[in-house]
Amino acid sequence: MNRSTIAGAVDLVQEALKVYGDDPASAAVLEGLARRLAEPLRIAIAGMVKAGKSTLLNAIIGEEIAPTDTGECTRIITWYRHGHTPRITLYPLEGKPRTLPLKRVDGRLVFVLGEVRASDVDRLDVEWPSPALRNMTLIDTPGIASLSEDVSARSTAFLAPADTQSEADAIIYLMRHMHAADLRFLESFRDTEAGRSGTVNAIAVLARADEVGGGRIDSLLSAGEIADRYRHDHNLRKLALGVVPVAGLLAQSARTMRQQDFAALQLLAGLDRADREKMLLSADRFLRSTMPEGLSAESRASLLGRYGLFGIRLAVVLIPNGFNEPTPLAHELARRSGLDPLLDLLDRQFQARAEALKARTALVGVETLLRTSPRPGTGHLAADLERLQANAHEFRELRLLATLRTTGVPLSPELAAEAEGLVGGWGAASYARLGLTADTTPGELADEARRHLVRWRAVAENPLTDRSALDACRVVVRSCEGVLAESSARQRQPA
Amino acid sequence: MAETGPANPSTPVTAGQLIQLVEHGLQLVGTGDREDLRKRLDLTLGRLKDPSIRVIVVGEFKQGKSKLINALVGAPACPVDDDIATSVPTVVRYGDPASAAVLTPKADAGPGDDGIAERQPIPITELPAYVSEKGNPGNSRKLLAAEVCLPRKILAGGLSVIDSPGVGGMGSAHTLATLTALPTADAMLLVSDASQEYTEPELRFLRQAMRITPNVVGVLTKTDLYPDWRRVEETDRCHLGTVAPDIPLFPVSSDLRLEAARLQDSELNVESGFPELIAYLLNAIVGQAQRLQRRSVSQDLLGVTENLRLSLQSELAALENPEGTPQMIAELELAKAEADDLRKRSARWQITLNDGVSDLIADMEYDLRNRLRQVQREAETAIEQEDPGPVWAEFSQWLEECVAAAISDTFVLTSERAEWLAAQVAEHFAAEEARLPVMHASNSADLLIPVDAMPGMDSGHVNPVQKVLIGMRGSYGGVLMFGLLTGIFGMALINPLSLGAGLLLGRKAYREDKEARLKRRQVEAKALVRRQLDDVTFQVGKQLKDRLRLVQRTIRDHFTEIADEHHRSLADSVAAAQTAANTYALEKDARIRDIKAELKKVDALHHAAEAVAAEVSDAANRTPEGAQ
Repeated sequence: MNRSTIAGAVDLVQEALKVYGDDPASAAVLEGLARRLAEPLRIAIAGMVKAGKSTLLNAIIGEEIAPTDTGECTRIITWYRHGHTPRITLYPLEGKPRTLPLKRVDGRLVFVLGEVRASDVDRLDVEWPSPALRNMTLIDTPGIASLSEDVSARSTAFLAPADTQSEADAIIYLMRHMHAADLRFLESFRDTEAGRSGTVNAIAVLARADEVGGGRIDSLLSAGEIADRYRHDHNLRKLALGVVPVAGLLAQSARTMRQQDFAALQLLAGLDRADREKMLLSADRFLRSTMPEGLSAESRASLLGRYGLFGIRLAVVLIPNGFNEPTPLAHELARRSGLDPLLDLLDRQFQARAEALKARTALVGVETLLRTSPRPGTGHLAADLERLQANAHEFRELRLLATLRTTGVPLSPELAAEAEGLVGGWGAASYARLGLTADTTPGELADEARRHLVRWRAVAENPLTDRSALDACRVVVRSCEGVLAESSARQRQPA
Repeated sequence: MAETGPANPSTPVTAGQLIQLVEHGLQLVGTGDREDLRKRLDLTLGRLKDPSIRVIVVGEFKQGKSKLINALVGAPACPVDDDIATSVPTVVRYGDPASAAVLTPKADAGPGDDGIAERQPIPITELPAYVSEKGNPGNSRKLLAAEVCLPRKILAGGLSVIDSPGVGGMGSAHTLATLTALPTADAMLLVSDASQEYTEPELRFLRQAMRITPNVVGVLTKTDLYPDWRRVEETDRCHLGTVAPDIPLFPVSSDLRLEAARLQDSELNVESGFPELIAYLLNAIVGQAQRLQRRSVSQDLLGVTENLRLSLQSELAALENPEGTPQMIAELELAKAEADDLRKRSARWQITLNDGVSDLIADMEYDLRNRLRQVQREAETAIEQEDPGPVWAEFSQWLEECVAAAISDTFVLTSERAEWLAAQVAEHFAAEEARLPVMHASNSADLLIPVDAMPGMDSGHVNPVQKVLIGMRGSYGGVLMFGLLTGIFGMALINPLSLGAGLLLGRKAYREDKEARLKRRQVEAKALVRRQLDDVTFQVGKQLKDRLRLVQRTIRDHFTEIADEHHRSLADSVAAAQTAANTYALEKDARIRDIKAELKKVDALHHAAEAVAAEVSDAANRTPEGAQ
């Protein structure tokens, strides 16, 4: 939103390149930072083993490309970025990157490593012509708390390195239930970035939400309640911007529903209810059953593998209730899988402040460089850096958000909640900050913003307000002014 | 396969028959004045009538532990929920009619006090309000455990199943609580669902738990939901194989079993996988525990009959062979003196025990201190690096976890060492006892069998250890299980206090200069950490010490009692032989007849006990899978 911050970051990196140009290592780091500023936001998908990271990635992209399996599957960090033609590049730890053959089985990519061992590979880079990847680069990571410890260690080192800043700008963290290992990891991810910039940039996902209630069709309601509890859990609250339940498998398959899936589901829905319920008692029963006649063993297995018992149970209930065409059914399944709220959250929390997140990553990178390899003639760089960090209102918002969620600010609970919203805790768009809906007119937005502004000015001037809360008030007032300016501008030039 | 047993052509002796045997033994003893033997048989009878085989169900949260128990007993004994459900350990055991109770810590009892728990009956319908996370979040009611008694056939054999709160990664207080409960359990069911193979924290917990309870059964739950459960099962088997060979793994589906019970569908029941699990529980776990118990019953009976026979036979020998009597009395006296030595504190086993326990206490204290010092050092480094004020809540939680992990390690070490010590003592006792005289007092040698075949010690050191352990389980189990828990509660109480103190101090320092404020906070935080760890060392050290003293007392009492019995028997024999020598010829014949009749009864009991012992060792040699 604020062009000057990102432009300032670009300039700063260029300036630094002039100073450090003769040092190949530093130059490489800086060039990497410059590239990152020009690229889409990098979002990593992390979580414990078998949390369903690759499945969720497929669901977000809307195409089944990442390989998934019952056993531990992802062992190499894999980047999925936008490209005009599909291409896979392997970056070994040592040696030159090389292109891998494009092999797909059932639509999913198969990485033919040849004689290269997974432990020797730094990362895989998949370019894919998918519209979803246009404005974000997704990074699939191996699970933490894996039995093959080096795999877990690689993920942790990648996402939360001890010495440099993380390669990812933001993170989607998948968990099945809040486990001690989850919290520990999120803490370490926050520490690397937050130690210096004090922000929160993770979204937690209650993954495999369909399994919470043992695959009953109301499972997602239970999962929603659990997610709600986690949202208010004081441990998780300060580590993640939000918690949403998602049934990843269903989301992935619903977004890629095929005609034959629909036909099979329709056959099942046509069965007698008692028979169907008996058949759907367990996965084994479903596979073994001979009803309905038109369904072959392979299509049964494929259906079960793609939708799970929960998906099948849900679909056969939906079909007789009006969703008797493939497209509406697919949409309804996707809606019920909880994917939409996640995409919405991604949009509000990450995309809307992508520039700020990227700029911050660049600034932290330059700061690290200045600290670790100081040299004469960098005085003006440090000054620029300081100015950028201090002036960028986005950073102050992010910092305040982190403070509000961690140590808190001595304000009344209602005021603190309002402040959280106004600085963008519920989303960076104006309407989200004011707690209104997307279709609010600019005039209403301006009025609402003005009301908030007056109120917060009063709070800031109140002599009873705690001194340490004053800084927070100033940031909130500034945010209100920003919203007001934006909506007034839109008011003047109606679309 | 029962017909393969040569000693017992019929089916194994039932518990009822065993009780009859023991009661018969009591009758034989009852006529004499051997209070010690009667006490021993009474204890045996008590154990026989109320057998308790504890199986503890452990696993990470949300793996379906409570539902597994419900499906096992076919009743909603433990509350189940989509969110985390269990917050208090729940014991499910046999009882008619169905009832429930909760155990609360006694308000006025100090730590380590024996009568620490208070039993409070509750209506069974209100159980969820007490043990579930919803009704009792984070166990805020401070319950020690809940107990549910159900009239179910599967529990009738003395099986009690314990539902434990889920373990969420190592280092949490729940893990420690589960570990402390393990020594009193006969077996452990490790529950993990079929959604994925074992994770690293699960296997780490398994390794630690295996050091305390080697009797582990893996259970793979929720097989109805996951089409690929067979592959997960296969992978899990491999993982189990790396921990220890032949840990069985049973894939089950609690939902199918409950549905089967609802529909009365036996096919569905078979599909649920429960019949195999139940068969294993009943045959291998309950069966093994029963074998252990049978062995201890048969050893008790053998011991008692040996003791009875000794005095009877000495008297008989003296009556039938008066001229050998002085020599026999002399030998008996000698044996008596040696048995006496065994009771004295100077006996080698006593020394081993005393030295061992003091070494163990010293080692334990050192170990605990060492571990906690490491924690302290880490904590201080962390405090120095950062301002402890804003992160104090997380910091104290981290500290608590580290402390809990350190205590669990020490705990595992201590219980391992204690068991080893018991084995050592038993070995020494057996070695010394073997030196008791082989008596050839009379020329009719075959009348008096050697005393070195005396109770229980001859079959090596395994027996006494197991006996000691059984004794501990029976009488002290409950107390031990909760002894350490209160230590943890104590810590948990301290934490909010120190947190509050930290906040207060932080507030006071706030008005001062920032730098000084930070320094001061760091110093305060360090002091708090130190005080906290000091408290932990003090409390936990005391708990562990008490525990070890209890072990020492149990071992000592056990062996002293056996030595006492020897002594009594030998003294009785001397007295009987002396009386016999002075008996008139007329009474002699009548007395000989009496003694022979009495001896016959004793011998009959002895043979019966031997048959039981033979059957037990026979069954132990067979593979458990072979048992029906």
